[in-house]
Amino acid sequence: MIKTAQDIKSYKKQLKEALQDQFLRKALGNFNKTYRENRAGVYAETDFDAIKQEIAADKDTAMPRLQALMAEFREHAEAAGTHVHVAKDALEANQIISQIAQDNAVKHIIKSKSMTAEETYLNDHLEKEGFKVTETDLGEWIIQLRHEGPSHMVMPAIHLSRYQVGELFNDVTSQNLDPEDIDKLVKVARKELRPAFLEADMGISGANFAIADSGTLGLVTNEGNMRLVTTLPRVHVALVGFDKLLPNLGSALKILKLLPRNATGQALTSYVTWIKGTNQCRSAPDHKKVMHVIFLDNGRLELAKDPIFSEALRCIRCGACANVCPIYSKVGGHKYGHVYIGAIGLILTLFYHGRENDRAIVKNCLNCQACKAVCAADIDLPYLIKKTLRMVLDADGSKSIKNFLLSKVMPNRRLFHFLLRQAYLAQKPLAKKGPLIRHLPHFFDKQHGFRSLPVIAAKPFRDRWQHLDVEVEALAHTVSFFAGCAVDFIYPEQAEAMIKLIKDRSVKVIFPEEQSCCGLPALMAAEEETAGSLARQNYKAFESSRSDIILTLCASCASHLKHYYPKIARQVGVPEKDMAAFVDKVMDFSSFMINVLGVSPDAFKTSDKKVAYHSPCHLCRGMGVTEEPRKLIETAGLNYVPCADEDVCCGFGGSYSVDFPEISAEILKQKLAGVSESGADVLVSDCPGCVLQLRGGMDKQGHGIEVKHISEVVADQLKKEDPK
Amino acid sequence: MTPEQLISQMRVKAEAVQAVVAETASLKNTFNYAIELTQEQGGSNLAGVGFAPDQMDILDALCNDVGLTLLKPPLRDHGDTIHTAVTPVSWGLAETGTLVLQSADEDVRLATMLANTHVACLRASQIKPGTESIQAELDQILKTEPATYVAFITGPSRTADIERVLAIGVHGPQELHILIRKDR
Repeated sequence: MIKTAQDIKSYKKQLKEALQDQFLRKALGNFNKTYRENRAGVYAETDFDAIKQEIAADKDTAMPRLQALMAEFREHAEAAGTHVHVAKDALEANQIISQIAQDNAVKHIIKSKSMTAEETYLNDHLEKEGFKVTETDLGEWIIQLRHEGPSHMVMPAIHLSRYQVGELFNDVTSQNLDPEDIDKLVKVARKELRPAFLEADMGISGANFAIADSGTLGLVTNEGNMRLVTTLPRVHVALVGFDKLLPNLGSALKILKLLPRNATGQALTSYVTWIKGTNQCRSAPDHKKVMHVIFLDNGRLELAKDPIFSEALRCIRCGACANVCPIYSKVGGHKYGHVYIGAIGLILTLFYHGRENDRAIVKNCLNCQACKAVCAADIDLPYLIKKTLRMVLDADGSKSIKNFLLSKVMPNRRLFHFLLRQAYLAQKPLAKKGPLIRHLPHFFDKQHGFRSLPVIAAKPFRDRWQHLDVEVEALAHTVSFFAGCAVDFIYPEQAEAMIKLIKDRSVKVIFPEEQSCCGLPALMAAEEETAGSLARQNYKAFESSRSDIILTLCASCASHLKHYYPKIARQVGVPEKDMAAFVDKVMDFSSFMINVLGVSPDAFKTSDKKVAYHSPCHLCRGMGVTEEPRKLIETAGLNYVPCADEDVCCGFGGSYSVDFPEISAEILKQKLAGVSESGADVLVSDCPGCVLQLRGGMDKQGHGIEVKHISEVVADQLKKEDPK
Repeated sequence: MTPEQLISQMRVKAEAVQAVVAETASLKNTFNYAIELTQEQGGSNLAGVGFAPDQMDILDALCNDVGLTLLKPPLRDHGDTIHTAVTPVSWGLAETGTLVLQSADEDVRLATMLANTHVACLRASQIKPGTESIQAELDQILKTEPATYVAFITGPSRTADIERVLAIGVHGPQELHILIRKDR
């Protein structure tokens, strides 16, 4: 039975246990790595971005028409002798299926892999009704024997080692199998399950596609068990979610271009099967298969109407969102979903399995955007996760102190900034005059001690600003600077370094003083009103500045402005086109230096310092900027050394690292190990949040590698006399 | 793409997914290939389905010569004992090394699902670039046939369900041989 934590305390206990599972960590870590590394090759001849948008468009067109598509499917399927049912919820679906079994005097049922049947807990229901049920997909069979739920949507037994499977199969076969021989273990399934195929009188499958204009089901598989499940028994029942309906074969073939590639890196799975009507079946009374298709609603039709959440129904169940998730790879699917696993699972669980099962897991997202980048249906998963979190919080009616403070303090810039200034005084005794806090006071849990924390600056950038000389004569660009809280109040030196680099280049820099927090921390806590209020304040603050570019040193702020502000423009009373014009100006520091200023190596000294680079999630995925920072490092005369997993999250995620310190610490550890192996002297990044996490971790772990913002290392390289 | 290029792509892509690809000059050669393969693997029988009666006579005679049993339909009666399935296929898709098999006939399905080894006869002229090239024809089949069971087959049956280690031959054929026959 699936037991998902229903409160954060027991969830954290489960997470702690999961983090101890060495096999799981290694297996999923390798999986995450190889999946990402192989991806470029898998898509060498296929335009992923173009096709995913076509899939999203097809799905969005189908969404408001699901009932009509079902009617069209029904018409064609019934004409071909298929019985078509609609089940409003899981129980009704299960009841319809057991009724079909009873009507056909069925005793033994074989199943091929179906997430929809997992969703309805179909096996439990059928077994209670007295039917013998055998799963025939290897992974599903293993977890059925172990009485577990799947831990991955495509590879349900990925959490188990060959030794665990070997032991299980020893029990099944009463033999002493060699667990190192995986081929032999696989053959156990072939041998043991053949009699079940030959004996069963009903087969249950899911479907990947239900094609309306011909009444055909499409199924995408590898092992060959589904073909037997749909061929040998005299009855075939397909349980299909409403979301699998597509208008035509063309839409299905489009999905087929990405589904296997995204799921398992295959150009095509071993089998893709198109089934329509009552095919020949010699074990059936008149040699014709008894064929039933059940469309499961279970909340889908309501979801399809939702202007925001309908996007979740685009999901084609490839599982890629789990494959690339740094959290999934640390804790596994049993702790990262209920029935549906991974990012999409954090969302769908609320709708299909209730708030109790989603309450804890939905909080466990770093917002690193890795899932969004690989989603074959272009679902904005991190955004929907925050939306889901908000629904859970609202329904629970119990907001945390963090949420309360965010909603009270952040919308009021003066109060917020006043408190930040007070924080400088409060932390003084802890910092002992250094730039880092190494020992937290005792009321913090010890698990927060994985990194040192920075101190709040004595004087924020906004107070230093007027003392900086930024007057220029011949004007080339007018740039407004969006500092963000971290640069403004913790790392003003990063902004000063930036000013040093651009002040002699005919650039006028404006600092709109009414600017505040970008709002991302509020959104991370699902405080949408606060995030909206901040968006409006920042829009207003920059409205009159008349600059060509809004320059940032913080990838998270930049990406949040760029992607979130347009989504809520209308809500916060800003015309959409004005908001679009505002966010169009947002630019990261490296792009500005390389693409706008076109800095040349002449301006810089050369150095043999080896510099590793951490690519912030919100820069490489959020802003789509990958080349410029590396180019800037080399232009500045530094020696760029590549390291492992440069574009994998550092584990910061803002308040995530405070909410889930153990996971954050593990992700950070892996990141720093990769940097350390590269032999770098300095690690640079272009997000103050990443710098905070990485520097704090380096300090605690003693790798001895300096961590800097890219603006700082580049400024340090300036020749005294810039020829420009 | 030229026919030669299609054949070569078909071969490369099918071999990449552990299929064995060979070219033959005639159907008789294909049958002989299947018979020799069966003998090599220690099998005692063959199931030939989807061929015209005169072609079946040839296969029957060849099996007889070497003492292999040509299984008679319905194959359901032979359950778990089918060693080699020999079938024609409708198309090959070069882009992915895929075979398209129309298998509304139960025996075609059972042969290609239960056998240890599947030998597929593909005419070179039926190799198309990819799914787009057969989309219209497949759509017609799905729309007009009263009942259909069309299979895209890409390599032998496989799984990676234990520790993501690729293992060939789970529930379906453990070997897939594609015999490409050049049209005269």
